[in-house]
Amino acid sequence: MITYSIEELHELLKSGQLDIYQYYDELFKEMDFQQERLNAFVTLTKDYAYKNLDILKWDGLLNHIPFVLKDNFSTKDIKTTASSQMLNNYIPVFNAHVVNQLYQHGAILTAKASMDELGMGNSNKTALTGPVRNPWDVNRIAGGSSGGSVAAVASGVVPFALGTDTGDSIRKPAGYCGVVGFKPTWGRISRYGVIPYASSLDHVGAITRNVRDMAIVIGVLSGRDDKDMTSSFKEVPHYLKNLDSNIQGIKIAVLKTVNDEVKNPKIKENFESILQILREKRTILEEVEIDKELLKCVLPTYTIIANCEALSNHSCLDGIKYGNRQDGQGIEDIMIQSRTHGFSSSIKRRFILGSIALASENQEKMFRKAQKVRRIIVDEVNCILSKYDIIITPNSGKIAPLLEEEEDRLSDEYIILENHLMLGNFTGTPCMSLPCGFVDNMPISIQLMGRLFEEQKVFNVAYALEEVLGFKNQYCKGKDKDEV
Amino acid sequence: MKYEQVIGLEVHCELKTKSKMFSSSPVSFAKTPNTMVNEIDFSMPGIMPSVNKKAVEYALRVCHALHTEIDDLICFDRKNYYYSDLPKGFQITQQQRPIGKNGYLDIIVDNQKKRIEIERLHMEEDTAKQTHFDDYTLIDYNRAGIPLIEIVTKPVLRNGKEAAIYLEKLRQIFLYTEVSDAKLEEGSMRCDINLSLRPIGSKQLGVRTEIKNLNSISNVQKAIEYEASRQEKILLSKKEVIQETRRYDEGLRKTVLMRSKGNSVDYKYYSEPNILPIRLSQKWIKSIKNHLNMMPDVREDLYIHKYHLSSIDAKKIVSSKELSDFFNETVLLSQHYQIICNWLLGDVLAYLNKHHLKLNQTLLTPSYLSTLINLIEEEVISSKQAKQVFEIMMKEGKDPRIIIEEKNMKQISNKEELTFIINQILDKNTESLIDYFHGKDRVIGYLVGQIMKETRGQANPKSTNELLIQLLEERKG
Repeated sequence: MITYSIEELHELLKSGQLDIYQYYDELFKEMDFQQERLNAFVTLTKDYAYKNLDILKWDGLLNHIPFVLKDNFSTKDIKTTASSQMLNNYIPVFNAHVVNQLYQHGAILTAKASMDELGMGNSNKTALTGPVRNPWDVNRIAGGSSGGSVAAVASGVVPFALGTDTGDSIRKPAGYCGVVGFKPTWGRISRYGVIPYASSLDHVGAITRNVRDMAIVIGVLSGRDDKDMTSSFKEVPHYLKNLDSNIQGIKIAVLKTVNDEVKNPKIKENFESILQILREKRTILEEVEIDKELLKCVLPTYTIIANCEALSNHSCLDGIKYGNRQDGQGIEDIMIQSRTHGFSSSIKRRFILGSIALASENQEKMFRKAQKVRRIIVDEVNCILSKYDIIITPNSGKIAPLLEEEEDRLSDEYIILENHLMLGNFTGTPCMSLPCGFVDNMPISIQLMGRLFEEQKVFNVAYALEEVLGFKNQYCKGKDKDEV
Repeated sequence: MKYEQVIGLEVHCELKTKSKMFSSSPVSFAKTPNTMVNEIDFSMPGIMPSVNKKAVEYALRVCHALHTEIDDLICFDRKNYYYSDLPKGFQITQQQRPIGKNGYLDIIVDNQKKRIEIERLHMEEDTAKQTHFDDYTLIDYNRAGIPLIEIVTKPVLRNGKEAAIYLEKLRQIFLYTEVSDAKLEEGSMRCDINLSLRPIGSKQLGVRTEIKNLNSISNVQKAIEYEASRQEKILLSKKEVIQETRRYDEGLRKTVLMRSKGNSVDYKYYSEPNILPIRLSQKWIKSIKNHLNMMPDVREDLYIHKYHLSSIDAKKIVSSKELSDFFNETVLLSQHYQIICNWLLGDVLAYLNKHHLKLNQTLLTPSYLSTLINLIEEEVISSKQAKQVFEIMMKEGKDPRIIIEEKNMKQISNKEELTFIINQILDKNTESLIDYFHGKDRVIGYLVGQIMKETRGQANPKSTNELLIQLLEERKG
């Protein structure tokens, strides 16, 4: 099967050069193969896809384009598990707003993808269906929590997938797998019907193999939805039409405090070469710093806020109305048994942490304090963004870890560099991870952050870089690689 | 030692908006269980709340009626606890910033005005309704998400009677602002009591108990009276009241223990992340105030001073908003205020009671009633005829003028016409004339009867009487 971008596929299907049923037959064959290799999917929606191929007629770019959803997007009549035992048999009665948007534009759902349980994790190793493997090296993780969605795009089966990003859950795995990952401004895309993790940090976003495809998908997903009161009324610009690789004069801040923590010399070198390209593109490039101590607060602040919000967001999972109900003596016992059985120990640990931080005797010194620190950090980032259009950082200091590898969670490299992507969730600003090279045969990325609702500038800088870098449309099918 | 009661009330009122507080499913009562629901009311994973603007408007109406300060920044919080009637595992409420605070409601107790201070008024959502059986529980989510307002008084009430008067007055406010049908027996208005005792003269508050499960105002009063005496006995025997939640058992006429406060829940309140604070425009707040219905106190005053009704009559009319609205419309059409009042409190209420109807379920309109009253006053029909017309008017919804026409019921008041008829009768009844001349006055009754018979009751009785005597005297002469 040949892998195409959205625009290529659109042309081929529209002109009839590619037989749509033949294409989908091959696609599902390929998905079966990739599932064996990567374990990226929870549910393949083959029947559903064929049924819609017969029905849907639309003239837009997404018509008949296959896509994959992270398994936390509610899909009517299709199992939605969030990769948790708790929801293993849950079939929603409604579609998430963005799912309706994509259906209306004629896109064809082909699979629900694996994720870290309830979106809480960064390895995709906590999924009920087991870890998702990295298409470039199956001994390595795809990353999480949107690991299945990212692997689906990075293995070339579908041109785009939807993910969610609460800390870095789209961008980190996208970086590990060499594809474009993007989350726009908080409020740009409706979250209605997306099983939440932490509402004030949750973003819906997408994974594609090039910037143009990203502009298309984000354009379709964006806009006000009355069912999500936090979604913005702001008009959605035509991102695709406005793509412009002339980025001369754009002011870019290089976040030195984060960059300084990169220990891998190859990644360091690569990052320097990216900056050089930006200079050649005649952008205004300057180094900026944020107090290191403040950056060290990002992870603990995130941990408290995210787990507090997660606690109540997941309180509905009590086994009473849906989900796996366990027997018990009376209502309270049923809830306790169901939740004990339904969540893995790492989830329960997070709930306990959230519960402690919200308890009335602790709330002031934990949860409210974390909210205050978040505000201070946001002010700091906004201060930089008041002077610069874009903040650039390395997406990660390392390539995708091996499946059994454990991170050193006490090093500054981990605490500052590996968690700095969370800044974009604190601020709600648009952030993209863009493939920028290979280290030890594994893809690496940079992150571009823009101002609130200035998605276009992020797209344009990425578009310009992509043009020069040539890592556009890359994927790794495995089969082809083995043959080579 | 003598003790004084310190009582605060928490009242929940369901708002009769078209849709629920945070979802678009309909608010309706007594429908088949679990039919008035969508994914939001079941709290399916991924749902998000959308604030119902109408519910905010209704809350503001009550804020205005209770003279509260209004917070123009609407914020909501999560109240976290697990219970099977709470689908989300938290309730969205207003903990930090209630929409209204520091209001009051004046009540009259034993002819004395007393100001009941309102601490706060906030918006929240209702829980699902549970029905418990021996070994299972049924849950109806129709009620889940119905908008509620909660109104909390300061601990200023001093006995059950005051509490009952306050509740009745508050119920009137809900009805007059048209935000709820406010029925305690059906749960659309609910009341929790906080009660403690303290030695008279003491400024300190004693240990309080909370009483729930009260389905009528009279039960609130009874529960307070029982609980006060229970606490008094404890204190007098030198024991301590335990802080706990009790419920009123109607059968036992006692408050009984529900749960002790020892295992109370920490609700872990924090601001709802899916509803960003909403700034209300002052213009909107003001326009709601300007469109507020006239409150019962003001109406009562108006009835006494402008329409010269007695205080008792005025109170009776305002006791029902429907009746009061009807009165207000009718007085615009007829100046006979007292007579309108008499008809409404007399024949109209009697008719409603007899047929178990509400005013709006009948075909009576202010225009019909005023026409009827005007016809009587203009002596077009007699009061006796009016009663007949009234019955037909209520049943058939016809204009009284048409009824009179159709039934040929016009009163004959014309002097010449009456004189002619009376003379005819007198000519036919010479024996009665002779009796009259001999001083037998009772023949007058007989003759009036004959005249009425001849005119099929249309002769104006008063004029007939006068004319008959006059004509008899003439013939005597």
